[in-house]
Amino acid sequence: MSEATLHPHTRDVLRLAQPRPRWFVPGLLAGIGSAVMAVALVACSAWLITVAAEMPSLAVLGLAVVGVRAFAIFRSVFRYLERVSSHDAAFRQLAELRLGMFRRIVPIAPAGLASTGRGDLLTRLVRDVDDLQDLPLRVVQPLLVAGITALLSVVGIWLIVPAAGLTLLVCLLLAGILGTLFSGTLSARADRELAPLRGALADEVLEIIENLDVLTAFDALTPRLEHLARTDARLRQATLRRSVGIGVQSAVVALFAGAATLGALYFGVPALDSGGGLLSPVLLGPTVIVAVLVPMAVFEVFGMIPLAGSAWRQVRVSATRVADIVPAVVPGEIPVDVVDPLTLFAPDRAIGPVVLELTDLGARWPGQHEPGVAGVTLRLAPGDRVHLAGPSGAGKTTLAQTLVRFLDYTGSYRLNGVEARLLAQSEVRRVVGLCEQRPWLFDDSIRQNLLFARDTATDAELEAVLARVGLIEWSRARGGLDAPVGERGALVSGGQAQRIALARALLADFPVLIVDEPTANVDSAGADALVRDILTAAADAHRAVLLISHTPVPDELVTARVTLPARAEGAT
Amino acid sequence: MLTSPYTKTVRPLDPRLLRYAHAARRFLLVGALLGLAQTLVVIAFAWLLTRAITFTVAGEPLRTIAPTLVALAGVVVLRSVLIWLLEVAANRGAAKVKSQLRAKVIARLAERGPDWVASRQSARLSTVVTTGLDALDNYFARYLPQLLLTMIATPILIIVILSQDLISGLIVIVVIPLIPLFMILIGRVTQSVQQEQWQALQRLSTGFLDVVGGLGTLKIYGRERRQFDRIRSITEEYRTRTMKVLRVSFLSGFVLELAASLSVAIIAVSIGLRLIDGALLLGVGLFVLLLAPEVFLPVRQVGAQFHAAADGLAAAEELFAILDDETTPEISQADAVAHTVQLGVGALLLNGVSVRRGDTLVIDHLHAEFAPGQLSVLRGVSGVGKSTLVAALLGFVPFTGTLTLDGVTVPAGATRGWLAWAGQRPGLFRGTVAENVALGAASVDSTGPDHRLVVQSLRWAGAAEVSPATVLGVNGEGLSGGQAQRVAAARAIYRALATDCHVLILDEPSSALDSDAEAGLLVGLRHLADQGRVVIVVSHRAAVAAAADNVIELQELAHV
Repeated sequence: MSEATLHPHTRDVLRLAQPRPRWFVPGLLAGIGSAVMAVALVACSAWLITVAAEMPSLAVLGLAVVGVRAFAIFRSVFRYLERVSSHDAAFRQLAELRLGMFRRIVPIAPAGLASTGRGDLLTRLVRDVDDLQDLPLRVVQPLLVAGITALLSVVGIWLIVPAAGLTLLVCLLLAGILGTLFSGTLSARADRELAPLRGALADEVLEIIENLDVLTAFDALTPRLEHLARTDARLRQATLRRSVGIGVQSAVVALFAGAATLGALYFGVPALDSGGGLLSPVLLGPTVIVAVLVPMAVFEVFGMIPLAGSAWRQVRVSATRVADIVPAVVPGEIPVDVVDPLTLFAPDRAIGPVVLELTDLGARWPGQHEPGVAGVTLRLAPGDRVHLAGPSGAGKTTLAQTLVRFLDYTGSYRLNGVEARLLAQSEVRRVVGLCEQRPWLFDDSIRQNLLFARDTATDAELEAVLARVGLIEWSRARGGLDAPVGERGALVSGGQAQRIALARALLADFPVLIVDEPTANVDSAGADALVRDILTAAADAHRAVLLISHTPVPDELVTARVTLPARAEGAT
Repeated sequence: MLTSPYTKTVRPLDPRLLRYAHAARRFLLVGALLGLAQTLVVIAFAWLLTRAITFTVAGEPLRTIAPTLVALAGVVVLRSVLIWLLEVAANRGAAKVKSQLRAKVIARLAERGPDWVASRQSARLSTVVTTGLDALDNYFARYLPQLLLTMIATPILIIVILSQDLISGLIVIVVIPLIPLFMILIGRVTQSVQQEQWQALQRLSTGFLDVVGGLGTLKIYGRERRQFDRIRSITEEYRTRTMKVLRVSFLSGFVLELAASLSVAIIAVSIGLRLIDGALLLGVGLFVLLLAPEVFLPVRQVGAQFHAAADGLAAAEELFAILDDETTPEISQADAVAHTVQLGVGALLLNGVSVRRGDTLVIDHLHAEFAPGQLSVLRGVSGVGKSTLVAALLGFVPFTGTLTLDGVTVPAGATRGWLAWAGQRPGLFRGTVAENVALGAASVDSTGPDHRLVVQSLRWAGAAEVSPATVLGVNGEGLSGGQAQRVAAARAIYRALATDCHVLILDEPSSALDSDAEAGLLVGLRHLADQGRVVIVVSHRAAVAAAADNVIELQELAHV
């Protein structure tokens, strides 16, 4: 469980997940309070009845009676406070954790996350970040609570019967070390053996269910199902083989719990025999009983530790994944702003027309050896509408991502004669806009999805731009600007999403607008109309438009055509 | 941490689990026996420990106590072994039950056919069948054993306590029923608080994903720096709302613990007071005091593991819904009959074919003739029902009217040995391109893909540049959209060539293709038609219509 084996980046990620002491300590104290009360309840009630058996006066017992009741109540109260307070701390830290991760993601997104470009992996990343909350809740807190309570109990028993205290200490250590060791090696082996089988099974199931039509139409279902049954059987066999090791940890803990009780009994008897010691004879019998019964209560608290161990393994996996996906250093293929960037237009001045010139431009995705696009020479002047075509894999999207400076470039890329790498990325993006292949719609209203392109726009302006992209009827039918678009635009079709994205770009009024494969996720019948509408709406004497599309575009809509040559297979 | 509102329907033990998975019954039996043994061991441990302590207090020498200590050691070892066995049994049970349920559900899905599956979310279905089922692990490993123990250990322990000390027994009997009572009451309150917060929480919990996922878009508009405040406020609101729910739902744990520890305290005090009077012996008091917490332990564990169990049962619930669905399928793939036709003979004739989707009439009395040797194009505006018609031809969707091939009527649910098809979605699999292209056909003679035929099929699909040896990932990952589309077309062509299929239907085969690739595909399709096949292409592309011998327009139905 040592942090020494962790990669430093993973450790940085973990550090972000641990709440600051001010938030964490109250929950920790309540947790220790609850655990100590649980042990004290057992000690006090054992003491109460053994003292009572010696038939003393009621007054002697009075304190114990109060103690037993108080411990019983405060144990639960503290436990409740612990849970509320530690969850609150973990959630407070979640904001810091998310911001810390976001700070790292901002400079590299979206191209630096391209290896994780699939939507589900992004979801995975975000879930991993959120799962790091388990570090304080399920790892640090239980370890500290169980550890401190166990230590206090050992000291307490050592004061009564020193040998029993030492036995308890040894048993706790052995149970902790052996238990963790067993479960650690077992789960490591399980991950090695079972994880690939689980993955294979999940993939096969997904393929069968998603492609049931294909398999049925090609009479290929029966062999697939037989293959799946074999994979399932292999996973089942491996799980059954492993199951023998599963309960070992709990068994080990139970064994040492019993050993501690036996040890206390064994050493407690001579302590009673000798009859001497610091304590008066009247109190001696009852205190020895306490020493015998307390280990049981301690081991109940100690039961948290194995659970913390398995939580730790999960947290570590999440942290490693997060550290892998979000590199601590920006990869070389992603641009970083120069120290004193030039400006094209003063911040307080309006943006004028822009001429974009590319000479022998090339770009590469992080982690790829071959350039995604190379040798592009192109000039875009205000009023131009250029159709960029090319076979799939030719690097059309790579070019689009390069022009908005998500990817760094080789060769030359000039805006009004100024080399783009000498400008701040934000300055380039003030003048070069992009409608992405999969435009992201935020889970909010149509209005909010438009406003962030120009937050000063009035409703009338928003409606005007919706009319330009052919969405006004549609938005009115759905209740106007306040209509929701759904999570990830779930309530909007592919074509409508493209039109909203175009409306955004028109609001931002970029002098150069790149539209990347607007028809990629559009019903093929609607594709031609969409391309026509986009080029008509974006046409402007002051604007240059670069339309990337595999759909044929009518001649009258464009001023020029460029075709990227085919490239090696497998390029993005 | 938060459970969805439907957990309220979860029963502690769903009888359907026993019905659909035999392994669950076996586990219940084994678990019950082990639970009984564990209970006896707990009683033995408490009794021996009491005996050893009373001997000690009475000042007996170690020699007298030794046999008791040895017996106690034996019980400790036995207890460990039983704990181990119960966990092993639970894990084995879970593995077998998951396997059985998975097999049953997939068999059911296959029997129901593609159209039925398509009407459900396929990603959701496969998650439920795989990782969703893993939620049953906790149900079996943590919840069921404790449930069994509650049912076995609790009554036995109460009887033992009653037999030793009536008053302590009565205290336990009064408190135990209060626990489920309070749990239900608090559960109700939690439910209403959760329902109030549910929507907001759902939205907030995805808020961060929304910002991270849209970061590219935000950067394009120079808005990335403004998101820090947004993330902070979303997360803060998430915290306050979640804590509102948690403060209530943690109350159930509080009540559980309070009931358990207070009744132990009450029993301890009552025993203590009666010991002073001499009304009770120390041995009896101690024995009862040791057993009292054990009565509450399984109930507390059941409560603590309830959420884990609820997740598992919610997953199982979705599977049961599929298995319980007794509505007769409109088309069953189970009773499909094979029907083969000689190549190059008759036409495919649709006579008054109507197709319904639910209550909507999508295709109304369509008459069409697709002649052999001809390239026919099916055209129509989006949503007119082209793909529905294809699904009917494939036998996935029922239709009325008659479909005849070479004069022989084709029934709705029959296997289409004479038909090769490529759908709008490529639907490729993990494996090489060659294995994908030769799908199904290869398994017939099991000699593996015919390499020459694979190359020819790829060429005729306009995908000559795709190497048959290229290895694809899950769902055909590794090809561009256009390449995948052409490999899917090549797969249909391979089937047509390898098994002498008389009819070839391609649904929008060139929607992701540039004009060169499209032209290549059209040349290939012409070859196939020239061999005497019926070739039908659903397409809106002008180039495809221009290459066709026959264009059939589907008209939109006027819906009232």
